[in-house]
Amino acid sequence: MIEHLGPQLFNGIVLGAFYAIVALGLSLIMNLTGTINMAHGSFMTLAGYLAYSMVLRHVPFGWALILAPLFAVVVGVVVERTLVRPLYKREPFYSLLMTFGLSLMAEEAFRLIWGPNGVPFSPPASLAGAASLGFMQFPTFRIFIVGVLVIAIAALAMFLTRTRFGLRLRAAVQDSEMIAALGTNTQLLYAVNFSLGIFLAGIAGVLAAGMLGLSPTSGNALLMPAFVTVIIGGMGSLFGSIVGGLLVGIAISMTTLFIPAASEVAMYVLMAIVLLVRPRGLFGEEGIFG
Amino acid sequence: MSRPRLSRRSFVTLAGAGSAAAVFGIPAYIPRIGEAADSIKIGLLEPYTGVYAGPAENETHGFEMAADAWNKRGGIMGRKIELVKEDEQNDAGVAAQKARKLINQDKVAALVGTVSSGVSLSVAGVAATTGTLFMDSGGHSDDVTGKSCHWNVFRTCHSTWMETHATGYALQKRFGKKWFFITPDYAYGHSLEAGFKDVLAHNGGSVVGNELTPLGTTDFSSYLTKIDAAKPDLVLVFVQGDDYTNCLKQMNQFGLLKKYPVGGPQVELEPLFGLPPEARGGYWGIEWYYKSEKTLGKNNKVAQQFVADTLKRTGGKPPTARNAFGYITLDRLAQAMNDAKSVDPVKVARAIENVHFTSIFAGSAYYRKEDHQLMWPMWVAKIRPNGTPGDKYDLFDVTDINAAEAVEQTIAQKQAVCKLGYPS
Repeated sequence: MIEHLGPQLFNGIVLGAFYAIVALGLSLIMNLTGTINMAHGSFMTLAGYLAYSMVLRHVPFGWALILAPLFAVVVGVVVERTLVRPLYKREPFYSLLMTFGLSLMAEEAFRLIWGPNGVPFSPPASLAGAASLGFMQFPTFRIFIVGVLVIAIAALAMFLTRTRFGLRLRAAVQDSEMIAALGTNTQLLYAVNFSLGIFLAGIAGVLAAGMLGLSPTSGNALLMPAFVTVIIGGMGSLFGSIVGGLLVGIAISMTTLFIPAASEVAMYVLMAIVLLVRPRGLFGEEGIFG
Repeated sequence: MSRPRLSRRSFVTLAGAGSAAAVFGIPAYIPRIGEAADSIKIGLLEPYTGVYAGPAENETHGFEMAADAWNKRGGIMGRKIELVKEDEQNDAGVAAQKARKLINQDKVAALVGTVSSGVSLSVAGVAATTGTLFMDSGGHSDDVTGKSCHWNVFRTCHSTWMETHATGYALQKRFGKKWFFITPDYAYGHSLEAGFKDVLAHNGGSVVGNELTPLGTTDFSSYLTKIDAAKPDLVLVFVQGDDYTNCLKQMNQFGLLKKYPVGGPQVELEPLFGLPPEARGGYWGIEWYYKSEKTLGKNNKVAQQFVADTLKRTGGKPPTARNAFGYITLDRLAQAMNDAKSVDPVKVARAIENVHFTSIFAGSAYYRKEDHQLMWPMWVAKIRPNGTPGDKYDLFDVTDINAAEAVEQTIAQKQAVCKLGYPS
């Protein structure tokens, strides 16, 4: 058992980084506009399929990893401008229902375009092997994933804290009326913010397609842990999403080691404990959501 | 601009309800196909949405081709067959509801279809209480023709017992007796586990690891890291569908496919098509194959025609075992109605039992009178990762053929658990 501890911990961190990036996208969108994006998983799947189609046409994997999320963002902006935007002023469940409906339509659309069965999508040969980490053999692709996720998260943090636009975004989360009154185009803020969230989902989607399978339902399978991550980390806190993701990942992998059959329940138990002890979540800000 | 605020409490409720619905699916409605005054309606239940949409579509091709063939010949007793399709969403509850709708509202003469065992059992339950005939085309659990058997329920695909015994003996012969299981943690997985343990009990051998994985596991890494420590002779993978794709892909990424032989009770072409070639390999049980004399039989014109017709219909995608299940099921049901000159469930059931027939596979077969299991051969194949030159779909090299009687429980064993209970 003990000799597995190191490898399992590392597995948990990889998995956790994954949940973290999906949760970050969800949080971004939710914090600013109160929209619970149920179609987040669909954007992941969309980016995965787009990358698959690109690689099939001999686009290098590295380019597909950037371009596919960008295309997903284009779709995302259209969705935000036409469907989500009119619902900003309504109760949150309007946009929840709308995006949920959208995810069902997306699933069927994927089925129509790419077929009901999964499609084969693998990382490039240079990332296909396993590398030695000293204490274990670990797939190169997973190490690559951790690298990409760390870069993405760092870039997001820089953007939010070091740029004027990021500053406005954070200010709008606090008080969008005031920001609008001061002359900032909040509609543009919303669109850019939504795009950021979708871009993160897109990157996660392409990486997930390479590591796991790619089928019309594959994105939605990752959505539930991401929501749990948001709740554990605390709503309103991006940092919380990162910590929450890592905690969920480690909880799942550790449970697998000791009680494998309970691995799926582990994150819900963790969520229940967090909610009991600290209802706002680990880093949630009291009152940010009223 | 003000906007409504979202409280944590309502977020938890909304997000929870929403994602549960996203995972488990919401009702969808597949409209009925055209009405015909004097047709014989057959209710077809398949999971057209969700993870088994691929197999569902293929079974449907098979059902429709059998119906078309019968209708072209003038139908059953001069009446056309009309398939009424419903989406059971891979959900036992929804399936029961849709089964009742088909029986009460559409007045179908019989029910056919299903992919997942849980759903098959649920539909079988409704069929039993309403006295409707149900032919399970694709749900494998032993219980359907075992402890939950009914006089009005028949099954076309193989039982898990047949799958485990056909492959267990073939794999043990090749690789040795220390086995590692990757088991999905629900009824189907547990019955596979029991089947393989029975093989080990007969021939001697041991289970050096058995990882129970929840259905819908996306990350298998935590389970896979334990394989190296157990040093098995063979890794047996029981998970299905998307889980199968995820598991094999990750075994490859962890370098395990190069280190250990891999195999399992059953593999289907649908998930294999979704795997990159480097993650395809091993020996697996297969239930039918479109391109081997071992599965189709020598010069079997009916089988060749079936393959050619399917290719024409799907634009080049070959039929899988699922297409075969659909075709055989409806063809036999129609034959029995025609022979019985009736759609009365008891008369039709009697007309199916123990009638030996030839079809789109090698040799002859029959639905066994004592448990209503279709007794047809079960094959084992070695996977060709890249297909054959000119046919990228040609993934199976069929190695073994097992007679049904050699791999299914005996009549005596079945009679100990299964009471058909015909109405007197």
